[in-house]
Amino acid sequence: MSALTLTLKTVPTQRIDCSPLTPDALQDHSLANIAAIELSVGNTMQRVDALFDITDGDTSEIQINNSHAKLDFVGRNMQSGSITTDGDIGAYTGIFMEGGELTINGDSGIYTACEMAGGQIKVNGNGGDFIGGARPGYKNGMTGGTVIITGNSGDRTGDHMRRGFILIEGNAGDYCGSRMVSGTISVLGDVGAHLGYGMKRGTILLTQMPSQGITANFNDCGSHTLAFLPLMFASFKKLDSQFAQVEPFSRVQRYAGDIGGIGMGEVLVKI
Amino acid sequence: MIINGVAIDETFAEAFPMKGTRLIITAHNAKWAMISAQAFTGFATSVIACGCEAGIERELDPSETPDGRHGVAILIFAMGGKGLAKQVETRAGQCVLTSPTSALFAGIEGEKEMALGQNLRFFGDGFQISKVIDGKRYWRIPVMDGEFLTEEKTGVVSAVGGGNFLVLAESQGQALAACEAAIEEMKKIPNVIMPFPGGVVRSGSKVGSKYKALNASTNDAFCPTLKGQTKSDLSPEVESVMEIVIDGLTKEDIDEAMKVGIQAVCDLGVENGIRRISAGNYGGKLGPFHFHLQEIMA
Repeated sequence: MSALTLTLKTVPTQRIDCSPLTPDALQDHSLANIAAIELSVGNTMQRVDALFDITDGDTSEIQINNSHAKLDFVGRNMQSGSITTDGDIGAYTGIFMEGGELTINGDSGIYTACEMAGGQIKVNGNGGDFIGGARPGYKNGMTGGTVIITGNSGDRTGDHMRRGFILIEGNAGDYCGSRMVSGTISVLGDVGAHLGYGMKRGTILLTQMPSQGITANFNDCGSHTLAFLPLMFASFKKLDSQFAQVEPFSRVQRYAGDIGGIGMGEVLVKI
Repeated sequence: MIINGVAIDETFAEAFPMKGTRLIITAHNAKWAMISAQAFTGFATSVIACGCEAGIERELDPSETPDGRHGVAILIFAMGGKGLAKQVETRAGQCVLTSPTSALFAGIEGEKEMALGQNLRFFGDGFQISKVIDGKRYWRIPVMDGEFLTEEKTGVVSAVGGGNFLVLAESQGQALAACEAAIEEMKKIPNVIMPFPGGVVRSGSKVGSKYKALNASTNDAFCPTLKGQTKSDLSPEVESVMEIVIDGLTKEDIDEAMKVGIQAVCDLGVENGIRRISAGNYGGKLGPFHFHLQEIMA
């Protein structure tokens, strides 16, 4: 059975909260029921069939066509199944996600994978700011799962991140790994200013020295062969990502910081 | 039953349920993986006084290990989960953590899990780093040669301990040669270990003692020097008896190991001084697993 397909009828003028449209929430719903679900659009409520053309299909696989940067909360609380969007997507994509796969064939907005706990989000494009972060005012960011950004990520990637992987195939913006508590961020490209600002624990793995160098609040711990890296690269092999093609390495220069805080985080740079 | 002139006694080995786990030790090269494994499995011949029974199952190629280095698979067994956990933690802490370049991984999944590096991490004094990879938590513990990497938990499985057979020969040298031949073949069987030195026991025991403080003592019925002093089970031509004890993950694994071991002994035959194969049991009252020699060799 093919996927349940939702095709956005027009470019939205207001932001649309798509959180009810997950495989788990739509399970066992008839097409009529799905059509009648009301979504928050700006300060109004509108039926799904008023916003989308619906093609019946397997609710465990949802395809959103003509998606737009004003579609927010796609995949919220998702636990299983898959959602694929054809086009950009808005803010808070995959917030509270616990399982399943979310694929964005376009750019994602701010707070992608916000407080995500499991599953996989792949953005075949650029990611916004605060990927894997915590909601404003909250201190626990992403606690599990994997985020892959094939393009570049915005600022504050992994802010308050606690567990899981954020894999950036392109460049990361400023403050990458800021206030990070644990988990792993890896960037194949360059990273912006203030790398690891306020980082407590966790790992930022880089395949090249940042063009702006390592910030002064990280201390050089020397070059090392770390046994966990081959295990990590082996786990990347199953991913549909450039990270699966990265030649495994275990020799890295290790920098510890942010020494303005507890200084237990690390930036590892391939040597 | 007689095989190649060797009599197979109509008796059985009696074995007990145990708890076990498999661990994988890797290191910079095969030599250091083996050194660490040998240290871990040292003084682990019998639960009677060692607290566990452990042995090296086999060497592992880099392609078979989690971190792609040379490794050794070891099996460790104890009478219960708590005792096993204590032994694993103590031995891992003193024999693997301390061993240059080593890393330690779980080698089996079980119905239950127990700590592997979960508590060893505190050796890191706060500098330890956790990494969850593919759903498994690992600990990176900073040590003087770099980092000690260990998996947080390992599986605990129900196992069988105490499978055995006795080799009765005309001389000590012939008994030893037969046991060596048996061990050589038994080492090829997966999921089993022979925990005694070189896999062979020369001091088989019986339950109880004339001394109240001891709950086991020499198996006088099979001691050749006591043939005229005790109710001996030995014929005049038998001058030496050696035992091979087997622990395994399942009864079937021990069945297979006993079969190839006894066959290797029998292949030497009576012309090499091998007279009988027997087994140790307690009348079937203590252990639920019975390995009948003639059924195994049928």
